[in-house]
Amino acid sequence: MDKRTNEEWVADLRAGGDRQALALEDLRAIILRGLPYAIAGRLNPNSPESEALTEEVVQETLMRVLEYLDTFEGRSQFTTWAHKIAVRAALTELRRVRWREVPLPEMEMNEDADTSYRELPDEQANPEEQLSRTEMMSRVNQIIMEELTEKQRKALMAIMEGFPLEEAAQRMGTNRNALYKMLHDARLRLKKRLEKEGLTPQEILAVFEQAGK
Amino acid sequence: MNIKQFIQRIFGSKKQKPASAGMPAGQSEKMQKMMAMLSNTREVELTCDDVFALLDQFTELAAQGEDVRKLMPLVQQHLDMCEDCREEYRVLESILNGTA
Repeated sequence: MDKRTNEEWVADLRAGGDRQALALEDLRAIILRGLPYAIAGRLNPNSPESEALTEEVVQETLMRVLEYLDTFEGRSQFTTWAHKIAVRAALTELRRVRWREVPLPEMEMNEDADTSYRELPDEQANPEEQLSRTEMMSRVNQIIMEELTEKQRKALMAIMEGFPLEEAAQRMGTNRNALYKMLHDARLRLKKRLEKEGLTPQEILAVFEQAGK
Repeated sequence: MNIKQFIQRIFGSKKQKPASAGMPAGQSEKMQKMMAMLSNTREVELTCDDVFALLDQFTELAAQGEDVRKLMPLVQQHLDMCEDCREEYRVLESILNGTA
């Protein structure tokens, strides 16, 4: 039975005993119907890994639902709220599995490791355009080096290389929320510095968009 | 690490294949990605935790055809910026559309 109102869900889950057990059983079935949407395209749905992940996520979700029941404010259907918790748990685990073998980009500190940067391949570009892009890139990177901390640069590099925030945060000994704040601060600093130098992201974007045409 | 090395790490190295207009592949795309992020950066933004608290409500409104960009612009802005939250939104959206 999953046609409970929000109030009924909360009351049943708080009730204890058989009433709570039945509500948990119904909620489990609802979460199980939603999880294939999280797994689709990320893990073979018929694999043992998928089965194990599903069971783990369902258990974790039910525990979290009970733990955070008091925070449910009724702004959505109770089941949507529960699905949200399940989706976060599932994707967190899937990201961990997907990225566990991939090292976070490391920054080398050897100043003389490579002196060939100026020799960027350039077979087709108009030399003036190429120069302006290369100069712009150097300028932006100069600003990045001057404005951002090493941690901010590391986080920025990870995100630019497609690392999930969650995974990058875990590797950097922080959490996703704190890393987002750190990156927000970094973006703001860069944006303000560009403005100070009379540049806007749109102008820089325009220079590089030409490169893709 | 010097600036040159940082450029190579973040925007790609010279070993990559050249892009159509002469930039090494990936460099110009990454620069575009970064500038798009900066362009979309706001003084005040919601964090991942803030958005998680609102995501069920936001997703239901979107599934009902409401203009969430207008109703909850800060959530939308965060989703535009944060790949992790956007991925979670899309899965939740597909669940609601599939089971509604």
